[in-house]
Amino acid sequence: MTDAIYPQVRIVPERFLNPETVEKLLNRIATTEGVRRILLKGQNLPPTVPYGPARGKPNPHPMKRTIQVCGQDVELQVHVGFIILELENRDPIPALREACDSVFTEFSYGLQEGRFMKSEATLSDYAKYGTEAEKDMIGMTDPRSKSGPIILQGVK
Amino acid sequence: MAYKPQYGPGSSKVAENRRKYMDPSHKLEKLRDATDEDVVLLMGHRAPGAAYPTAHPPLAEQQEPDCPIRKMVTPTDGAKAGDRVRYIQFADSMFFAPSQPYERTYLECYRFRGIDPGTLSGRQIVECRERDLEKYAKELINTELFDPARVGIRGATVHGHSLRLAEDGMMFDMLQRCILDKKAGVVKYVKNQIGEPLDKEVKVGKPMDDKWLKAHTTIFHSLGGVPYRDDAEYIEWVQRIHSLRTKYGFMPKE
Repeated sequence: MTDAIYPQVRIVPERFLNPETVEKLLNRIATTEGVRRILLKGQNLPPTVPYGPARGKPNPHPMKRTIQVCGQDVELQVHVGFIILELENRDPIPALREACDSVFTEFSYGLQEGRFMKSEATLSDYAKYGTEAEKDMIGMTDPRSKSGPIILQGVK
Repeated sequence: MAYKPQYGPGSSKVAENRRKYMDPSHKLEKLRDATDEDVVLLMGHRAPGAAYPTAHPPLAEQQEPDCPIRKMVTPTDGAKAGDRVRYIQFADSMFFAPSQPYERTYLECYRFRGIDPGTLSGRQIVECRERDLEKYAKELINTELFDPARVGIRGATVHGHSLRLAEDGMMFDMLQRCILDKKAGVVKYVKNQIGEPLDKEVKVGKPMDDKWLKAHTTIFHSLGGVPYRDDAEYIEWVQRIHSLRTKYGFMPKE
């Protein structure tokens, strides 16, 4: 969940992004002043086949890779379709547009302002995760996941 | 007067394609050369070259009950030999794939015998006797009904038909059964339809370009394609059928 006082933007590219493109874009975004949080959203790429006759067999996928963002390893678990950002204020938006323009040269994208992160836990969240769940993670990723958020030293 | 099927209404290119694919007198354009072995590998029901497992003895060897229907209907090769019933399933991207589930079911019913199609929003499965299936699957893959990038052969985990495409123009596939070989520009299957790795890659040809796809698609699309609302004849007929079947629900007395 997030504090609703911070502005949020969502980057919606016309295509699902390759890990190389995500790497390029995140390195630009993470070094932009005023970005608090980055959330990568997209279709899940499970490590094993989840159902069907081949259930449990390994599922190698070229889009599931570890990328380098500001010197940190980030393991992609989704085929990235949206990038949601939480900003300190609206000032970095022109710089973000510029970053997107330089990375998305082959196809178009949309940059939307709005509310894209959960600000309150829903009844379903309580039913699924209980009252002890880490509040920061609800609506971002599975709060029961053992891997926590990755902390990037962007401009600091 | 002999019955002449009209296949479907519409004056747009999409409607014309729909009718064309359904019409068994239209010979489907052959675009690629997947071999019998390729098709067997993609489906993964038996090893290439292995004998067809059977579900019952061949019809010639078993006593058939005295049934007028059985006398009327000639069994297909698969039924004659007592093959098992097996399936192939396709997912068609909404981004101008040449076929879509309803279209597939219609055209298969017009063109093939002894089939049991299942139609869902994002995928279509067709079941029949194994050796008939291989023959039909080959036709479905080798002709203009298939595009390597926008159509997926997916037995399980089919999600992807309504999603944005990947950067290289491929439809999303959680199991990544097929990969675009960038050097050769050819799509190759590295897993069979249920996601088991293949011993040998199966090449299914080059993805078709956007111009070809838009000329051959059977999907109305308001973003870049033919919008449904632009086909007045189609709308008129759909509304007519809707209205008649709604009124029939009240059992009108004429």
